[in-house]
Amino acid sequence: MRIGADIGGTFTDVVLVDDQTGGLKLGKVLTTPGQPDDAVIDGVREVAGDVRAEVRHLVHGTTLFTNALIERKGALTALITTKGFRDAVEIGREHRYDMYDLRLRRPEPIARRRHRFEIAERILSDGSAREAPDEAEIRALARMLQSQEIEAVAVCLMNAYLNPVHERIVGEVLRGELPDLPITLSSDIAPEIREYERTSTALCNVYVKTIAEHYLGRLEARTKDVLQDHARLFVMQSNGGLLTAEQAIEAPIRLVESGPAAGALAAAHYGKSLGLSDVLSFDMGGTTAKACLIIDGEPLLAPEFEVDRQYQFKKGSGLPVKVPVIEMIEIGTGGGSIAEIDTLGRLKVGPKSAGSTPGPICYGQGGLLPTVTDADLMLGYLNPDFFLGGDMALDLDAAGDAIAEQVGEPLGLDRLDAAFGIHQLANEAMASAARIHAIERGRDISEFPMFAFGGAGPVHAYGVARILKLPQIIYPFGAGVMSAIGFLTAPLAFDFVRSHPIRLETADWPSVNRLISEMEDEGRARLAQATRDADITFRRTADMRYRKQGFDISVPIPNGELGPSSVPGIIAAFERIYETLYGHTIPDTPIDVMSWRLVASGPKPELSLPVGGAGDRDAQKGERRIYVQDRGLIDVPVYDRYLLGAGDRLEGPAIVEERESTVVINGPATIRVDHNRNLIVDLEPAP
Amino acid sequence: MTIPDLDPITLDIMWGRMIATVNEQAAALMRSSFTSIVRDAGDLSACVFDRRGRMVAQAVTGSPGHINSMATGMAHIVKEFPIDTLEPGDVIITNDPWITVSQLHDITIATPVFHKGRAVSLFANCCHALDIGGRGLSADARSIFEEGLFLPIMKLHEAGKPVQPIYKIIEKNVRTPDEVVGDIHAQIIANEVGGRQLQSFLQEFGLDDIEAVADAIIERSERAMRSAIDALPDGEHSFALTLDGFGEPIDIKSAVTIAGDEITVDYDGTSPMVDLGVNVGFNYTVAYTTYGVKCAIAPDVPNNAGSFLPIRTLAPEGSILNATPPAAVAGRHTVGHFLPSAIMGALSGILPDKVMAPGADSLWNTHIAGHDARDDAYFSYTWFSTGGTGALKGQDGLSATSYPSGVAGVPAEIIEALTPLVVRKRALRPDSGGAGEHRGGLGQVMEIEVRTERPYLFSGLYERCTHPAPGLDGGKPGMTGAIETSNGEDLKPKISRMLPSDTVVTLHIPGGGGFGDPMKRSTDAICEDIRDGYVTPDGVRRDYGLEPS
Repeated sequence: MRIGADIGGTFTDVVLVDDQTGGLKLGKVLTTPGQPDDAVIDGVREVAGDVRAEVRHLVHGTTLFTNALIERKGALTALITTKGFRDAVEIGREHRYDMYDLRLRRPEPIARRRHRFEIAERILSDGSAREAPDEAEIRALARMLQSQEIEAVAVCLMNAYLNPVHERIVGEVLRGELPDLPITLSSDIAPEIREYERTSTALCNVYVKTIAEHYLGRLEARTKDVLQDHARLFVMQSNGGLLTAEQAIEAPIRLVESGPAAGALAAAHYGKSLGLSDVLSFDMGGTTAKACLIIDGEPLLAPEFEVDRQYQFKKGSGLPVKVPVIEMIEIGTGGGSIAEIDTLGRLKVGPKSAGSTPGPICYGQGGLLPTVTDADLMLGYLNPDFFLGGDMALDLDAAGDAIAEQVGEPLGLDRLDAAFGIHQLANEAMASAARIHAIERGRDISEFPMFAFGGAGPVHAYGVARILKLPQIIYPFGAGVMSAIGFLTAPLAFDFVRSHPIRLETADWPSVNRLISEMEDEGRARLAQATRDADITFRRTADMRYRKQGFDISVPIPNGELGPSSVPGIIAAFERIYETLYGHTIPDTPIDVMSWRLVASGPKPELSLPVGGAGDRDAQKGERRIYVQDRGLIDVPVYDRYLLGAGDRLEGPAIVEERESTVVINGPATIRVDHNRNLIVDLEPAP
Repeated sequence: MTIPDLDPITLDIMWGRMIATVNEQAAALMRSSFTSIVRDAGDLSACVFDRRGRMVAQAVTGSPGHINSMATGMAHIVKEFPIDTLEPGDVIITNDPWITVSQLHDITIATPVFHKGRAVSLFANCCHALDIGGRGLSADARSIFEEGLFLPIMKLHEAGKPVQPIYKIIEKNVRTPDEVVGDIHAQIIANEVGGRQLQSFLQEFGLDDIEAVADAIIERSERAMRSAIDALPDGEHSFALTLDGFGEPIDIKSAVTIAGDEITVDYDGTSPMVDLGVNVGFNYTVAYTTYGVKCAIAPDVPNNAGSFLPIRTLAPEGSILNATPPAAVAGRHTVGHFLPSAIMGALSGILPDKVMAPGADSLWNTHIAGHDARDDAYFSYTWFSTGGTGALKGQDGLSATSYPSGVAGVPAEIIEALTPLVVRKRALRPDSGGAGEHRGGLGQVMEIEVRTERPYLFSGLYERCTHPAPGLDGGKPGMTGAIETSNGEDLKPKISRMLPSDTVVTLHIPGGGGFGDPMKRSTDAICEDIRDGYVTPDGVRRDYGLEPS
């Protein structure tokens, strides 16, 4: 048996799966922000009950490190770098992420300039050492770090992605001098070209390392306490693979996007169980919406992302982190997004957000600005008496008055039209972001089914899917615990990367093979603790490009010994992917490999979704008046999600209420309940 | 459909869709470009135009020079090829610097979109070609004829058929034909992506064309810009900037007149054209003028044909800001990038809360070519570096940040991986930010070595080496730029030179101007600056009259 546990803003979700029977047991406890492991342990007790002894794995994801980075609550961190380069991390990309705003600010590096130190040493761009570091200088620096009460150190030396020897010397001498100081070497965490991004990654990692040690160390101990000594704690990474707690403590930056990644993994898993290999996953919460493309059953991956985008989620306004991540487009549209009239008299929705405090007006916690949730309530999409399963009463009148006054009057619209305008514009923004994301990845999503979850996802999915002209929406059963379920579908996995540029036509294949087998050995060693050798699978990819192009694409590489005879196959794979992304290939242009990557994975756990029986009573709770485009307010049936049974068929417009969200079908559609109790909604083709 | 038929929400939705189509167009272009400046730095423009050639929406990426120059350039394209003479499958090309982006490297591709058998729109994009023949991206040419291949407004495809002779001419006139033609293909595909989305939009909303939507968008944007101008007191305000130029300094004089809801920027008194390639075509002058005005008074107003209307730009013909053929223009950004500062300086008296002090403004453009001993091959590499931006009321300037250009820099490790260069230092330059209540952004220092056994060619296009970025409202100027060599070689900011192989060149890139009286800077801010080394104790004594303890 295994348990997945996800800490959310309000609730900590815990899911127990019995791998023998496929049975799932869901639990929900209030999150304990002060010490989040308390809620996890409580939840584990709740779902495991008297089968505790049989639980082998607790799989966990956390936003603790993300929050520490966003709130800047990590360690007092220093940087050690090559002489002449302490400002590389501040100079960054020299780029403004907004064209017109003169007052924009660039992201502040984790280490202030006063805490960035240089040592004389140099590796050149061919990996050769021009000047070795002087141990006396490092020791003197160690004393300086100590006198300044530095709590963590990142080491990032020029060209260390090609040759880590100097970084290792620095690391060893520092450890000798300051054995308790957390240290991250850039060549360990992100051995890739580009000094700014690599430095930033090493800094972010070491900044939260102490928090990771304390938190994960304690959680692992408590896991063993509450379960059994042989029970193990695994942690989800941003790329959808698991790490042991011990490995995660070394590389906490790898966990930063674990929550959203788990949601995407769950979507992929549900998609597979429905026989769908290409899916658009759509997750809308309180402050943002995220979309992810799942292709051939796997979420798309990206080699880097940014944490803490401070400016309307704009690219460039956050700190770059070079670790693999399930790729998402995230925009500032959520239930708490504020609707306002701009200087041109246009209605704007988001990215300003009322957040959870004060929150939407209807929460009655002091919010004064109308939000998407307020509009959804006005339109009848949310039930004022059944929000969060009835745990929170919503103030309909206050929401309606504010929308009428702040949006309706300036636009000359009545309050309902104003509210529907807010709903629609939120949908437009999300649809547009999803489509651009697909174009960037060379995909046409017009045939993709959408998979909707998150607190506000099921409320808006229908509208977004209509704009994108998607054929189908799936509302999974258990949408409220998607991330926790996602954890249970993830394999143990570790990824490696080595920069080793070659020209395909003149490659030194023995050295490439050596490098790959090094990564494979390392993968085996890391997985050995929890996986049998025979169960390990390796997936190789290479970052490849046409010579002189400024960017790489990721291309699968065959396993086994590589040599000149592998080249035609590698070229064909490159061209196939290039064509998908860009619509054409470029004849007669040589192709280079820049880096080699390897993912070593344990077996992917089986997780069968619970099968539901036919409904034994009428699932219709009643009727509610909701706003439907071109029809105005009409009465539609309201169903209880928990009473719908496999095989039930419904017609849109309709409302289906569940505890954490509401499925809003505010237009024509046919709805059926499949044998896993997912709602499958087929949209009518556009006229 | 007429404007009154559009309820405000529907208009907002349609407006959003128009912007989405051009963002999709830009995304498609950035993905498939061969040129890193297009792909990584987003140095491109992607826009949609109505039947009258008016820009309705621009992609939220790119550089103002490209966007606004193309916007005003489209009028010439529809004059040459009236919209109803176009056929499906036509593709128009031009790099005419006098009517588009004032540089032969910048190629504009425009594609008509058809709906119900009628041309309803043009999608156009412009990006920087890797090469266009001639002398390359330098100020060395004496006339445009030396700067490369000139492509007048022509049909590159006719009714879906490529006009092969044009392709052949391009291929034989540029140094990197694969990349240049590849980028042109990417530009064509990007317009197709945008065009398909527009067709789907028209169908969904049951529209015959975008004219009514365009009217509404343009009219509303114009009204917003006019009301932003109207809120300012009438009057004339002037400012003068002095640039290093070549031997002779260049004066940029701006007179900004606000009269009711219109604003006129007149560059009368500005220096005449020079016989090297830093002259600016008028269209580019207009582009950076409207951009500068918008940044200062109405950053939130959407950028389209409507927001341009209340802004008039004047520059005497034959001046460096209204150069006439056959003047050389390849380095026009070296001068054009100063225009927003010239405008903000003029407006600083009435808009002290909005304007930014002048900064380094012009990118430092370095080109090094020589012999790479490692693989016995020749190399040639160009990159841009940034100085500091000016300070604003309430906020220090940004260090090593591009403005007004949107171009991003290149990592030292990338430079070293692609060339035999060794970047020995890349650091912020203490004390280079102009003193003030709010300090100017710092410039940077770059120390460059070339691993070669033969002399190498060094050419830089550098400004603000003798004339610093002035401060505003009592702020002090930023530090000027300088070039230094390890062996005393005399290197000038805009002259190409062969240097002995062992020469190490150090670039000291200028800082931005300060804002407000330095004596008003808070002691805390000064102390923090000292602790972080953004200023030195000596600098504090000199600039702030304080004795650091």
